[in-house]
Amino acid sequence: MSGPTTEHPGGAPSGGSARRARRWNPLSPVAPERAFRFSPRTLGVAIGLFALGYLALAFQMPDYTAVSVPVQPSTLPRWLGVALLILAVLLFFQRAPEEEAPAGPAAGTAPGSGDASPAPSEAADGGAPGEEGARLGRLEDPRLETGLFVAALCVYVALFEPLGFVLSTALYLGSMTWYLGYRRHLATAAVALGLPFALYAGMTWGLGVVLPSGPLPF
Amino acid sequence: MGMLDQLLHGFSIALTPQNLLFVFVGVLAGTIIGILPGLGPMSAIALMIPIAYGMEPTSAIIMLAGVYYGAIFGGSTSSILLNAPGVAGTVATSFDGYPMALRGKAGKALAIAAISSFVGGTIGVVGLMAIAPSLASFAVSFGPTEYFALMVLGLTAVVSLGGRNLVKGLVAAVIGVMVALVGIDSQTAIVRFTFDLPELYEGVEFLIVALGVFALAEVLVMLNRRGRGGARGGVTSLRLSGGELRRITPPTLRSSVLGFFTGVLPGAGATVASFLSYSMEKKLARDGDTFGQGNPKGVAAPEAANNAAAVGSFVPLMTLGVPGSGTTAILLGALLVLGVQPGPMMLTDNPDMFWGVVASMYVGSLVLLILNLPLIPVFAKVLNTPKAVLVPLVVVFCVVGVYGLSFSVFDLGLLAAFGAIGFLMRRNDFPAAPLILGLILGGLMETSMRRALQISGGEWSVFVTEPISAGLLAVAVLSLLPAVVRALRGRRRPGPAAPAPAAEEEARDRAPTPRG
Repeated sequence: MSGPTTEHPGGAPSGGSARRARRWNPLSPVAPERAFRFSPRTLGVAIGLFALGYLALAFQMPDYTAVSVPVQPSTLPRWLGVALLILAVLLFFQRAPEEEAPAGPAAGTAPGSGDASPAPSEAADGGAPGEEGARLGRLEDPRLETGLFVAALCVYVALFEPLGFVLSTALYLGSMTWYLGYRRHLATAAVALGLPFALYAGMTWGLGVVLPSGPLPF
Repeated sequence: MGMLDQLLHGFSIALTPQNLLFVFVGVLAGTIIGILPGLGPMSAIALMIPIAYGMEPTSAIIMLAGVYYGAIFGGSTSSILLNAPGVAGTVATSFDGYPMALRGKAGKALAIAAISSFVGGTIGVVGLMAIAPSLASFAVSFGPTEYFALMVLGLTAVVSLGGRNLVKGLVAAVIGVMVALVGIDSQTAIVRFTFDLPELYEGVEFLIVALGVFALAEVLVMLNRRGRGGARGGVTSLRLSGGELRRITPPTLRSSVLGFFTGVLPGAGATVASFLSYSMEKKLARDGDTFGQGNPKGVAAPEAANNAAAVGSFVPLMTLGVPGSGTTAILLGALLVLGVQPGPMMLTDNPDMFWGVVASMYVGSLVLLILNLPLIPVFAKVLNTPKAVLVPLVVVFCVVGVYGLSFSVFDLGLLAAFGAIGFLMRRNDFPAAPLILGLILGGLMETSMRRALQISGGEWSVFVTEPISAGLLAVAVLSLLPAVVRALRGRRRPGPAAPAPAAEEEARDRAPTPRG
């Protein structure tokens, strides 16, 4: 199921970016409130496609014939697929979320300002990166920033075993902390070098959980 | 006889130096993680599970319970100091806590929060002791049919109370159950949805999903917000006068009781409890119109209620083995991995664990109080952790947690994928709790559905002819009604609330599509 699941996030943004491309130049930065928010239609289509793929697999599933069982292994998946399809249709016909009053400003899941009106904070946020210290990352567009972050995570995961835990983690921590804009480089270096080693020591010698050592000799 | 002896026995377990240490570690870690903006009890527990894996089950659950109420308290700290609740359960606290902090009474507000949390937690534990044994002895008679209905109820309750959008909640729940079905089917050994990847034969480890959908997604949301929403908060004197204590006593006591019973109900966790008690006290208080402007009662009430509810939510978890909230679902997942199946038999089969946990809750509340009052200024410094440092650190902890469990890089990829999914869900207002609950209940649901049908000889009607099961399913449908009504009133939608068709079909349908 990881296949369809991983295809899901891929599917959703591609539909969304097509829609975005109509409305804005995709190269122009987008306000954080708006990044990765899709209309119910896009979501409905993405989830519906996923449900169809899931159903196709569920109906290809072999039946268990050795003994007669009331519930075949494919029974529940088929219902789930149908249910998801119905829900996707319902979602498709939902109206786009109306403007929510900013009840919890900046807190938790502050509802974005939808698609209707450009958020007033866009200019302030994208145009004038005033408080550089408070801002994470360097790119104008939060979509690219998030993509880069996920890519960095994938690189980290890919290097995890070849380089070993200590080296790959030190590399990841150091580069990400620096990239995200923490400017006390000495502290960055201390954390990036000290923490992986401490974690490695704690896990390997303390808890008996062996992390990959890579080229390091311990 | 019984109960007091058993409680004493529980204390003898909870007070062993080792377990005492674990309570301490749990509460401390929970508080620190809970203070960090964005990371709530679910992320806190998920992050601590890898540490719990190597431990003895009783110690592990004692520690994780400590993490839970530590995280709730930590959330109220960031609510009060930053007006940035890390957890939905402490949103109500910020209504009066933040105004108090603005008026230079942050210390007082934090002290009130600590004290009323303690009272709420303690009253909750008393309630847990009183209710759990009788509920468990009632639930012993439950068969697979009843369990199936109960799990459906748990899912629909979490969905209906979890978010504004019923359809999105249901989508999350269905996808959760779908993820649960990946792997080799336990009954027939048929491989499902693995795409011939041997890594998936064992199914998807719930910790991967929990860390991805909560902790990692949270970090991505932080990044997407460009790290805004953080400010400096100073702490002032913590001292409360006798008059202030007297003023907050009645609301604290009332809210504790209300919070506990709200917590026991499936789906209605700390969040609902805190809002209920806040509005109740606002109505009851003579100075109700000053609520929202920094009234201490407005801090005491939700804090007492959310802690009592956190304890209350242990009742269904420990006696029925069915979690009533996202957080207890994660706890259940942890217990299952540790080889413990909570349920009505736990009280008789594994009394050490039950009473040890109960006793450790008393101890935990106390530790929370003595730890927090002096350390509040220190904790407040945690809020100043630069996000640029915090974000990569959380990622590393997630990676270590997953790798330490499965030693598989494939699972790390899965973690990243679920992080992305969780992020997209968060950005589009899909609640994550139903997904986790669906994932954990999915396998159990299918098993009990099969057993029920095996017993009934394949008669699907068994779910609606058994009185308890029928009642539970009816409540499950009813629990979705308010959300449906809200949806219909708010916007025009092609009727999601079709009247129930043939009862038999409906009973089957309800698991995947619990629509009223």
